[in-house]
Amino acid sequence: MDTVTTLVLGFISIVVVNNLVLTKFLGICPYLGVSGRIDMAFGMGLAVTFVVTLSGTLTWLIDHLILMGTPFEVTRYVCFIMVIAGAVQLVEMYLRKFFPSLYDSFGIFLPLITTNCAILGLCLFINLWGIDNLAEAVVLSFGAGIGFTMAICIMAGIRENLNLANVPENLQGAPITLITAGLLSLAFMGFAGMIR
Amino acid sequence: MANELELSGNQYKDTFLAGLWRENPVFRLLLGMCPTLAVTTALKPALTMGYSVIFVLLCSNIVVSLMRNLLKPHLRILMFTLTIATFVTIVDIFLKAFQPEMSAMLGPYVPLIIVNCIIICRAEVCASKNGLGVSIIDALGMGIGFTLALSVLGAIREIFSTGKIFEIQIMPDWFVPCAAMAMPAGAFITLGMLLGLVNLISKRKS
Amino acid sequence: MSKIKYFLKQSWLLIICSFCFGLLIAVVNAACLDRIEKNKIEKLNSLMSGLMPKAEQFEKAESFTIKTTQGKEFESNIYKAIGSGGVVDGWAFNCQGPGFQDKIELVVSVDKVFARFNGFAILASNETPGFGDRIKNSFYRNQYIGAPAGELQLVKTGNTETIDSKIVAISGATVSSKSVLNIINSNVRQIKAKMIDKGLLSNGK
Repeated sequence: MDTVTTLVLGFISIVVVNNLVLTKFLGICPYLGVSGRIDMAFGMGLAVTFVVTLSGTLTWLIDHLILMGTPFEVTRYVCFIMVIAGAVQLVEMYLRKFFPSLYDSFGIFLPLITTNCAILGLCLFINLWGIDNLAEAVVLSFGAGIGFTMAICIMAGIRENLNLANVPENLQGAPITLITAGLLSLAFMGFAGMIR
Repeated sequence: MANELELSGNQYKDTFLAGLWRENPVFRLLLGMCPTLAVTTALKPALTMGYSVIFVLLCSNIVVSLMRNLLKPHLRILMFTLTIATFVTIVDIFLKAFQPEMSAMLGPYVPLIIVNCIIICRAEVCASKNGLGVSIIDALGMGIGFTLALSVLGAIREIFSTGKIFEIQIMPDWFVPCAAMAMPAGAFITLGMLLGLVNLISKRKS
Repeated sequence: MSKIKYFLKQSWLLIICSFCFGLLIAVVNAACLDRIEKNKIEKLNSLMSGLMPKAEQFEKAESFTIKTTQGKEFESNIYKAIGSGGVVDGWAFNCQGPGFQDKIELVVSVDKVFARFNGFAILASNETPGFGDRIKNSFYRNQYIGAPAGELQLVKTGNTETIDSKIVAISGATVSSKSVLNIINSNVRQIKAKMIDKGLLSNGK
């Protein structure tokens, strides 16, 4: 397979087939927290995409240029989380200084992102899958962000309609959201096995 | 003096019990959802994850509580993450050394304890404001509460998806295993139902 | 100068803690490293002796770089199984390739002339529970025992008892069955060729 095909397939696979939220359970907390309104969900999705692309690329570089093959490999997790925390801080400062309007729209989500499992999860999965070229790592990171945005927006759309539905009292809020997510994940299983 | 001791004894008990039910991290605070859903395909990985989290929570609460007066506000979160990441790495090494099978099964979900909201939340809410004793009790309460929730979910999913528990057959022969329970969809739906049940029980109680 | 002082004043705790934690990780890692290595070897050994119960000991003979069906390269270690009296009893090697969702890693064992399989075992897989993970079951695995170590074929229906190159797929997990088959086919071919090149295996004469 040539590089372009690999990249395109990798992208599709991370967006729909191995969607981080629905098949790997990463990023469930913000998924439950902010999927109430579609505009907020979209803002969160964009912020995550931005940070995940940046930190996925950075951690890949650090892993391959510095850590691999040295005894420092054991500190991989510490390095990853520090890179993510740093990237979030940098993005926040940069946005506040140069794009205040953008900062207003998704700045509030940025501090939350450090503890978003999707980001660290993706960095770990890139390491686990043994991705060995930079282009693929970048595409996968970006794809993961898009996948997250897609999942959270679908959910927000459903939840806006759920407000009008007659849900049993005890299932209101988080429980019904989880059950909906379960059905969504069943639907996404249809994509499984399409690639790889 | 005696009164004071009694009071603090009560406070400890209260803090401990809060983690088990009233502020159960999974069922009540909806924290740490990612491992809750991912590792509960069976009871054994759920328990392994449970005690890993107890260990990390305990260590990080102790460290944070000891240095709570030295923390600079804007470096606080960074300090917490550094502490947690260190202890998670240690747990990961231990699991690889003493429980290689479980380590392979849990895979990337062990390092993902770093971003488990429970730990950072307890560090922020409890350990950075309270003394050593309360922090330890709080860590134990929360950790055991988390483990309990995980075990319940793991047991339910294992029974329905394979008819076994701890690899011992317990369901009668006519039982048809439902593989969907071991899949992501099963995790979401079981947890949703359990949350509903917890809501129901606590409403009955009050 | 005052800037450096300010910097140190703000972050001394962070710097000290980083050092302490780094030291802690190093100590724990040093203490456990041997055990981790030992675990890996033990797991491989126990899988291999499950496949070749007659072998008394396994010796690493060679390691080759093999290409998966996706074109990725990995290292395959070839182990020589030594039976009683020091005779070579067979070979075992690890191989990997794409499965239904994630990669599958296998240990495959063949007899000493690469003529028949002794079977395979799964090192790591992440197949769908209840469907794809039935590649671990004896129904599927036993079909490989004694099968000729050439090109295997996957069939939908057939007799699972006869020992031949036809492997019956698991119903509901055709893709996983096929993945395992493809991994074994492509790896055995490559490894056999390399073994002959190295002179470890005579050229069928």
